[in-house]
This record gives sequence, C-alpha cells and structure tokens, in this order.
Amino acid sequence: MPSKQRGVKTLGSKLTPFQAFSLLVGFGTAFLILYPFSRVLVRLFWVDGSLNIEPFRNVVQLPNLGQLMFNTFTLVIAGGGIALVVGFVLAWLNERTDARMGGLTDILPLLPFVMPVIAASAGWVIIGAPRAGYFNYYIREVLDLVGIHLKQGPFDIFTWYGLIFVYALYLIPYPYLLISAGLRNLDPSLEEQARVCGAGLWKTLRRVTLPNVWPSIAGSALIVATIGFAMISVPILIGTGADIQVISTRIVRLLNFTYPPKTAEAVGLSVVVLIVLVAIWRLQARLIRGGRFATIGGRAARGRRIELGKWRWVARSLTFGYVFLALIAPLYGLLITSLNGFWSPKTRWGQLTLEHFRTVLWFDQKTRDSLFNSVYLGLIGATIGMIIAATISSYVQRSTGKVSVFIDGVAKLPAAVSGLIIAVGFILAFAGPPFKLHGTMLILLLAFIATHMPSGSIAADGAASQVGHSLMEAAYVSGASESRTFWRINIPLMLPGLVAGWSLLFVRYAGDFQASAILSGTSNQTAGKKIIEIYEMGSYAYLAALAMGLTLVTGTIIGVVFALTRRRSSISSVV
Amino acid sequence: MADVVVEVRNLQKTFKRADGTLVKAIDDVSLSVRSGECIVLLGPSGCGKTTLLRSIAGLEKPEDGEILINSETMFSGDQRIEIPPQNRALSMIFQSYALWPHMTAFDNVAFPLRSRKTSKEEVAERVNQTLEMVGVPELAGQHPSDMSGGQQQRVALARALVAGDDLILLDEPLSNVDAKVRDQLRRELVEMQRELNFSAIYVTHDQIEAMELADRIAVMELGKIVQLGPPRDIYEKPSTRYVANFIGTVNELPGTVSSMNPDGSAAVKTQLGIVNVPSEEEFPEGSGVVLAFRPERCSISPQQVDGSLNWKGSVNTSSFFGSHTEHHIKISEDISFIVWQADPKQLTHDEEVWVTVDHTNLRVLPFEGHEGIDENH
Repeated sequence: MPSKQRGVKTLGSKLTPFQAFSLLVGFGTAFLILYPFSRVLVRLFWVDGSLNIEPFRNVVQLPNLGQLMFNTFTLVIAGGGIALVVGFVLAWLNERTDARMGGLTDILPLLPFVMPVIAASAGWVIIGAPRAGYFNYYIREVLDLVGIHLKQGPFDIFTWYGLIFVYALYLIPYPYLLISAGLRNLDPSLEEQARVCGAGLWKTLRRVTLPNVWPSIAGSALIVATIGFAMISVPILIGTGADIQVISTRIVRLLNFTYPPKTAEAVGLSVVVLIVLVAIWRLQARLIRGGRFATIGGRAARGRRIELGKWRWVARSLTFGYVFLALIAPLYGLLITSLNGFWSPKTRWGQLTLEHFRTVLWFDQKTRDSLFNSVYLGLIGATIGMIIAATISSYVQRSTGKVSVFIDGVAKLPAAVSGLIIAVGFILAFAGPPFKLHGTMLILLLAFIATHMPSGSIAADGAASQVGHSLMEAAYVSGASESRTFWRINIPLMLPGLVAGWSLLFVRYAGDFQASAILSGTSNQTAGKKIIEIYEMGSYAYLAALAMGLTLVTGTIIGVVFALTRRRSSISSVV
Repeated sequence: MADVVVEVRNLQKTFKRADGTLVKAIDDVSLSVRSGECIVLLGPSGCGKTTLLRSIAGLEKPEDGEILINSETMFSGDQRIEIPPQNRALSMIFQSYALWPHMTAFDNVAFPLRSRKTSKEEVAERVNQTLEMVGVPELAGQHPSDMSGGQQQRVALARALVAGDDLILLDEPLSNVDAKVRDQLRRELVEMQRELNFSAIYVTHDQIEAMELADRIAVMELGKIVQLGPPRDIYEKPSTRYVANFIGTVNELPGTVSSMNPDGSAAVKTQLGIVNVPSEEEFPEGSGVVLAFRPERCSISPQQVDGSLNWKGSVNTSSFFGSHTEHHIKISEDISFIVWQADPKQLTHDEEVWVTVDHTNLRVLPFEGHEGIDENH
C-alpha cells in the first residue's frame, strides 16, 4: 500500500556498499554520455566566452534544407505509420484470435531482429533493384510465360515506395512487441463484456480494445519515431540509390565525406531532430496522462480466442509473409549473390562457390578483422551494457530521490540524440590527450555503450518491473544484504528480460553504423563501416558475403544464448 | 513471560498523497509485545496497521519515535538510528507470500539460513525439518508456480520459521487462500505459535481471524491504536462505537445522559424512554451517547420479562443461519434491532414480539467519533 508514497522527512543515512556501487555505475554512465555531448555543445555554441548561434544560421542556410526536412518527415511518418498498423494487426491476430501458433507466434515476428538492418538493407538492394534484382527477375520470368515481356521492374527498390517499404519492414517488430504486451495485459473480459453487450467484432475493437491499448500504441509511436529519425542503414543503402536524402544521411555526409568535416551543421541538424523528438515525447506523455486505461489485475485472465474459420490461414500467412519479406528474402539474395560470385539474377546453379566467403571471412585480412571486431565488440559491449543497465534499473526501482531520476534520465538521453553526434563528442572528448583513444577498440566500445544505452535500459526496466517489491523485501527480512539480494533475487528473476535486452544490444553493436561511421578507421574497422565501403566500391559479391557472414554469426550467437538460457524465458519479455 | 520483545514508542509516520495532502499513517503509536505473545493489528485498509508492521520490520522509515527489538534500538528518531531489515533478526510473511519463483521450495526455505552463513549440513537438516513441521516435506523440489495457494502459504511459513527468530511478522498472510484452507491454516498457526513460543505481530482486517489468533488485539483507526486488549475485552467492553462495530455486530440506541446515578449507573434519555445503565465512565449531563448491545445478548419473547428492558416491536425479517436464527425487529420508525436466537424457529412478518435485554448487557458509548465503519474495509 504505501510503496508509492514517500516519507515526508527522511533521516540522513550512510550509503551501503551496494548503493555506492550502483551510484558509481550510474555516475560513470552519466559521465560517458554527458561529457562528450557537452564537449560538442561547448565547442559549437561557446566561442571566446560568449554564446554563438552561428551553427543555427549555417543549418538554415544549408542547401535543400526544405527538401531534406520533407523527405525525412515523409519517410518517418509513412514508414512509421505503416509499421504501427501492421504491428498492431499482427499483435491483435496473434493475441486475440486462433491464428496463434503456440510459442512460435511470439518469436516469428521478432526473428528479423536477429539480422542487422545494414545487412538486411544490402539484401533488399540485391533482390529489389529494377534490373538485376532477383524478385523482379523471377516475376519477369513468370510474366514471360503469359506473354508479357518486360525489360526491367516491375518493382524498383530505389524509389519512394521502395524506401518506405524497407523502412517499415524493420520498424514493425517494435510496435509488435509493445502492442502484444499491451494486449496481453488487457483483461480480455473487458472485450467479452462488450461482445455480450451486443457490440460486434469491429465495434469492440474500435471502442474497447483500441482505447485501452492506447498507451502501448503511443509508446510504439515514440519508439518508431526515435528509431526512424536515427535510422541510417536503410536510407544510406537504398535512399542513395533513389537519390532521396534524409537528415541522418546528410549528417553522415557532413561529417564523413566532407573535408573539413562540417561538425557545426551536423550538430545543428541533429538538434532539429532532438526538438522534434522531445515534442513527440511530451505529446505522448500528455496523451497517456489524459486518459483512463484499464490495467492488469493480479491474475492473467485468458479469454476465448476469436475463431477466424477459413480466414485463420490467411491471418497466419500474414505472419509468415512478414518473416519471409523481412528475413528470408534478403537472406536469400545475400546467399545467392555471395555464392554466385557476382550480382546477377541468372544463377548458375552448377557453379556456386564458397570462394567469396573464404575471401571475406579468411583471406582478406581487413574484412575478416572488421567482422571479428564487430562480433567482439558486440559480445563484450552487450554484456557490459546490460550489467550497467540492470544496475541502474534496479537502483532506480528501489530509490525515488532526485539522483535516481537524474541517472535514469541520462541513461535514456542518447535515444533523442543522434549516435553520430555522440560519436563526434567522443572524438572531441577522448580521441586526443589525456585519453588518446583515437582509432582504438576501446573508444568504439565506450561509444557503443553510450549510444545504445537507452535500448538496454528500457529492456532492463521492463525486466526490473517484473520483480515485485515484496520479493526483495522478503530477502531483506531473511537477512540478505542488498548486494546478496541483487545477485540472488533480482538478477535471476530479471534474466529472461536481460537476455532479450542483451540480444538486442548485441545485434545493434555488431551491425552498428552510427558510432562506427565516425570513430571507425583502418585500425579499428567494423563490419558496418566495411559494408558501406564495399557498397560504395560496387563489389556486390563481397558485400553479400560480408553481410551474410555477419547475419550468420549474430544469428548463431543469439540462438545459442537463447538455447542456454531458455528455462521460462522468451524473447517477448523484452518490453 | 514478562520479557518485552518489541517496544514501540511514540512512533510517527506521515505520507504525502499524490495531491500533496499529508496523511498520518502512524500517529503517535506506542505498543509493547511480550515474549511468546501474539498481537493482532486489526482495522480497515488505510488505518496504518500494515505501515506499523513494515516499520517494525525496517521496510518503512518512520519520522519519529523509537522501535526496540529485544531491548536493542532498531529505530530512533532522536538518535538518528535506523538498522536495516536484514540486521533485525526477525521474519516476515507477506500477503503475496513473496516466494521467489526461480527457486525451489527447499531453496526458498534455505535462503534465510544461507544468508546467515549456516553450514551446508545444517541447512539441509533444518530446511527438511521445517518443511516437515509445516506439513509439506514432499514439496522440497518444487517451484512455487507448481503449488496451490495453501501449499505456497505453508512454504512461506516454513521460510519464516526456519531461522528460529523469536519474532515473526505476518501481513494478512491468509487473505489469499480459500475459506476452508484458511480455517485450517489458522488453527495450525495457533498451535505452532504456542508450541514454538515465538512472538507474533499479525495484521488483518478480519475480526474472526483476530479473535482466534490474538492474545491481545490492537484495534487501529486513522493511524492510532484506539483500543488494546484481549479479544474478550475488546468484544465485551468496546471503548468506542468504532470498535464495537468493527468487532462483531452491534445494536445501537442513541440517547443523551440526563444524570449520573449515585450507584455509578447513567440515566440515559432515549426515544424509547429513560434507561439506567451501568457505566464505568463518567458522562457529563447532556452528552450524546449510544446504548450498545450484541444481538446474542438480547432475546425475543412473547411477553415482557421482569427485571429486564422490554421493547415492543414487529418482525421485519427472520432468517435461519444454521447455528442461529437472525431476526430484524422494528421497534419504531427509525429504530430496529437485530436479535440472534439459538432457537431455529422463524417468525412471521409483522408478528408482534418483545425484545428483552438485561441492563448489564448494555454498554454506554460516546456518540461522537466514528459513525460505524466503512463498508469497503
């Protein structure tokens, strides 16, 4: 009863060793995020002891700024909107109808998470290009049979619709996760009551289900917008071909392909994104606060599922169709191209060769190293990142002071700041003396941890919130210290959520092209950066082999981790 | 027997509501618990009973006052002492049981011993012994999710008993099990407490539970202990209308004191005439009171009974409850009484009867204060 209320007056108390540890981790993380970020801001806006608004003027004067804004917003709104709708439909079908296929349903729509988006985008270039794209070729072959002869197409990935399509494809898992969780927590008897009161299926959905999962939908919109604005792999691989520039790709160009790098304009652009995201975040918070929503009671009620009859397999094929488009199709493209030796839809099935895999994964030392670096950073970084996130979440969960609010806020801050800007901050803060981390793996590791802290932190929050207060209190009155309680009670109970969060981080780190775009060079090459380099040189077989190799490694490692930790866990406990 | 295990002195704790208003959850409470005694904190939700229990456990931090356990200061507002829960050498059973779902029953029960660095052999021996004692030795290897509510409750009890602490705190431990299991567990709890002779502080809103378990009941209202005493005293000599209504059913006849008689009884003027009632308390003339009496301490009779109070009324409802029959008798427009008779005979509607009650079964209680109790307790 009183856990949500606070004592008015508190006594001064000494820090326990565990609190000291938590605070050390928290402030260490805050330093890692805030210090580079403040270096960027100071460097830009503080010239000779006074405020300098020059960068904003430069941003306003950027050529084609209007076009850039229009492109970005169109992409995020269209792609994000489609992702929300599809995510909701998949979640509803799987949670409320008999289209559900046991535990498989929870995993299928999340499988695309295993494939780094940069590899998937490369795959879509290969299958969706108008002439050489495999899909288009196969469709033309079929059309030939019925007498329709096309030279190219019918589809073209290098267009607005192609870009929006791929964009939406890799945003769908986020709303799916959040909205299924929302539906699972919504007592089905509310919907059954509506049905009993004579409301039809559609009316129930519209009048009862939707309004009550509104918080999950609003939360999904925020996440989709955050990821959408920052997403760089899809627009750099597909948008470039379509000649559509967005803010994220422009920032990369300003920083990476311009000499000297136009840091001021890049930061200015990312401040624009920051302002938009803060506005969306406020709007979402207000929407959620304004409404009344049913929440879960103690027990998980299981309502009867809606029977779809013959539509059941149509509904199921939606899920399978999604997995096919998001995972299997691009993997197929990558696999065939890398085995074929060059990018051509006319596969010479008899002459497939592993030569390119061998080159990329073994003979070409630089590519091999880049893959090794990425996997290594992923393993080490995700582990450290999740331990930090779990420590912070547990600390925030049990203390309500200003310090915990601050640490929690800072851990979530990078979500609103482009990873590219944080990377620039890392150059300013840590590349030179006294740290001298330029070109090292350590600077990448630290930047990854800082950039992707919000994902880890949100996953850990979800895991921490599942550990009820009384479980910890029972440990205290059993004589267990705070650290014993943390390691013996909190961590084991949070494990499924932490493993899911770890997997998410691992794939993000291994396929990173945000921090790497700025911080990775010849001495600390990452796979993400290498993929872009190879793409710009136009050697698609190598590109495919590297992207395929990366996906194989991430897929295998995540598969092994889940097999080892799967007791009662499931990937759906991420959020 | 006279050893004091828990001593609470002038404890204060205020909560701030979301709207900024302050609520006194514990308002200057003092209480001492003797060795081997079971004290029940009884009251509706929001009366501060759970907060008091959690403060003793160290899970809430009071603002002021003192808590001593076995004469050692655990909390002191003046001396700024606060001992964390893990160092208070007590056990607690939670309303939700709070069994750790990732551990087997054995590991759950072993946890307090392992936290206190007990040897492996001793852990095994004592855990098995305790599981045996609470009657679930066969559950040792099972996880909580595979157990029934009653079984979980037994494992939680074993976890609280295993370390052999001489103080056990129980926060509505039986509110989540079926009525049948609840009765049985309650009886076993009483036996175990007598046998192992630990002191217990037990929080509940269920008066039946309180009557059966308590050596003394502390009835709480708005952060204060309004009455503390053995169950019989609380039932027979409630000090306020609030207590009278919270424990059991009570008939109330409002009136004003017209004078105090030389023999110590009070002459109370009521709608049904002047009634002379023995009173331990002096009431000033004209003060508002109610005359309270229990439904089983009055009876129905076809005619007046000499030496008793007699009120004529008509039967409103009459229901058979198995152990007794309950009659609602309407005396006047706004007064009706409940009468419990062992006699299973039901009366017909509108039948004219007399309600008779002996003067000694009436109790004078001050009118002001709580108007009965909340329905939602």
